[in-house]
Amino acid sequence: MNPFARFETIVAFRFMREGLTQSLLIIFGVALGAGVIIFMSALLAGMQANIVRRTLNFQAPIEILAPDQVARQLHEGGPAGVAAQIQPRSQQLRSVDQWQKVRAEVAGVPGVIGVTPVVSGPGFARRGEATKSVTITGIDIESYFDVIALPEKIVAGRHDVGPLDIIIGIELAKDLGTTVGDKLYLTTASGVASTLTVIGIFDFGNKGVNERNVYVSLRTAQSLLDLVGGASSIAVKVQDPFAAETIAQTIRGGTDLEVDSWIKTNAQFFSAMAAQILANTLIRFFVGLTVALGIASVLVVSVVQKSKEIGILRAMGTARAQVLRVFLIQGGFMGFTGALAGALLAWGFLILWRGVAKNPDGTPLFIVVIEPSLFAIACVGATLVGVLAAAVPALRAARLDPAVAIRG
Amino acid sequence: MAEVRPHAHDRSLPPEAAQASLGAAQSEAVSRVATLHLDGVAKSYGVGTPVEVEVLHGIDLTLQQGEFAALIGPSGSGKTTLLNLIGLLDKPNAGRLYIAGEDAGALDEMAQTKLRGRAIGFIFQYHYLLPAFTALENVMMPMLAARGAVDDAMRERAADLLARVGLTPWRDHKASDISGGQQQRVAIARALAMNPLLVLADEPSGNLDTENADAVFDLMRDVNATSGTTFLIVTHDPRLARRCDRIIELVDGRIVSDQPNRDVVRRG
Repeated sequence: MNPFARFETIVAFRFMREGLTQSLLIIFGVALGAGVIIFMSALLAGMQANIVRRTLNFQAPIEILAPDQVARQLHEGGPAGVAAQIQPRSQQLRSVDQWQKVRAEVAGVPGVIGVTPVVSGPGFARRGEATKSVTITGIDIESYFDVIALPEKIVAGRHDVGPLDIIIGIELAKDLGTTVGDKLYLTTASGVASTLTVIGIFDFGNKGVNERNVYVSLRTAQSLLDLVGGASSIAVKVQDPFAAETIAQTIRGGTDLEVDSWIKTNAQFFSAMAAQILANTLIRFFVGLTVALGIASVLVVSVVQKSKEIGILRAMGTARAQVLRVFLIQGGFMGFTGALAGALLAWGFLILWRGVAKNPDGTPLFIVVIEPSLFAIACVGATLVGVLAAAVPALRAARLDPAVAIRG
Repeated sequence: MAEVRPHAHDRSLPPEAAQASLGAAQSEAVSRVATLHLDGVAKSYGVGTPVEVEVLHGIDLTLQQGEFAALIGPSGSGKTTLLNLIGLLDKPNAGRLYIAGEDAGALDEMAQTKLRGRAIGFIFQYHYLLPAFTALENVMMPMLAARGAVDDAMRERAADLLARVGLTPWRDHKASDISGGQQQRVAIARALAMNPLLVLADEPSGNLDTENADAVFDLMRDVNATSGTTFLIVTHDPRLARRCDRIIELVDGRIVSDQPNRDVVRRG
């Protein structure tokens, strides 16, 4: 049956048309509220996605390390007594024990989509008179790119690093005055040195990373860092970055390995994000409440204004439930159309934002993804808010005593 | 004062004589099929408070199908209260109320609403049309409320009713854009929309000039004569009351007189 031919719909729409100014004003109010919620949510989601993406550009969601070395008491609880103070041991670069086995096991953990061994340690890069301290990262080109999208970040040269090749960041290249094809002298604290050819330059969009990180082949790093056959860590990529900590705990279970998720290592960022989400939720709640109160107040006034007409409708045989629905429909419609207008408003602002909020180099400050689902949720949510807000005035209208209402 | 009449159209038979000619059992049987029968209906306001007032005291009244009765009485005599009780807009504190033999007072709220929509039409002093709707839509409204959605038959019936009250040219005008007399005629058409057994009119011409008042009254009489719809009309206007078949007078919540209008009867 055509819903617009129904008694309740016809009366509801005619009542709204009769009070057109107040109907339009409240729809405009709902539109502003819904627009603010959608715009803020899209912006926040974009900002978070952007930070997450930038962080996980150069950091694996999970990193498996050899357990820390600890100093133990020789005679624990013995007659010689207990040392009052135990000095922590300095940590030397060590390989993850049986890393090939660990790698194979981790690859089978649900949610894991990439596993790669990494040899990482400090070193110096020298070219001519310039020396810079760097973090040497030895990578297995067969598997590393499944975890870190280095090839996408190469701005010059190539990424298939061989035993005598090196990939450096754009900042380091600038500092050392190197370009693709130049030679670079790489040394480590242990005195091992190697002359490598720059085959690629990357840009992760992070100055620190672009300045410090250098990538060599796994074997080159093993010999430079005196870790032959070893892997200082195993980098793991997971399907859902936000499930990293749970998966890390699964991997950690039953082993003495140190398994760090990016959620743990970026705790500060996550607490900031949680605060942001809380603030956004609070704002959304209060904006939603304001919208609901606006709709309710307009309908309360409408019930008072139309009490005689409601009384007449009741006298003509209109059931209480029908009167109730007349006002619920009005609330739902105001919520829905307001949210629809608000969605359009927010969409316009987001497009505008994309055009205005740019980095000095013209690239977007951050990518705001306009999710259709967000608009759909906002429209459904606002309709529900409208219906709920209309409940009180609708009940009041339905309970009107027709004799009293007609008498006025 | 209980009053029953065996034949609605037997206007030569005075109610007293009719009452006398019936035994108690017969009286009950007749009242079951009467359009309206009130049995000891009382109404009080402020029940249980120090200001409790009984406005209607044990009203007995029967209206047979096709009657055209006036309810007269001074202000505050309880006319509108009685009309509200009969129209199921209010509940009595005592007594029984039958509509077409159905114990309407015993029905729940929803059943009363349905019965009201189906069996009773209202005409008020102020037309109380819905200003946002056209004349045609106002007449359709009771049918729309009962059936839930618009259909062509509904539209046709509303158009026919408007034609009957002489308002075809104004059918698509907003209720607020037509004259007072026309509005009251639309209200009459609306009251007839569900083909009710009983039309309750509360000062239907109270707000109109003499010419329009007469036109509205003539229209109601015409409907009564052609459709056999029962009318109970509250009026202050003795001139109009004298044009009804029966005059019921209410004073201080009691029926003090209930007579066939001999002028009309003689003329008829």
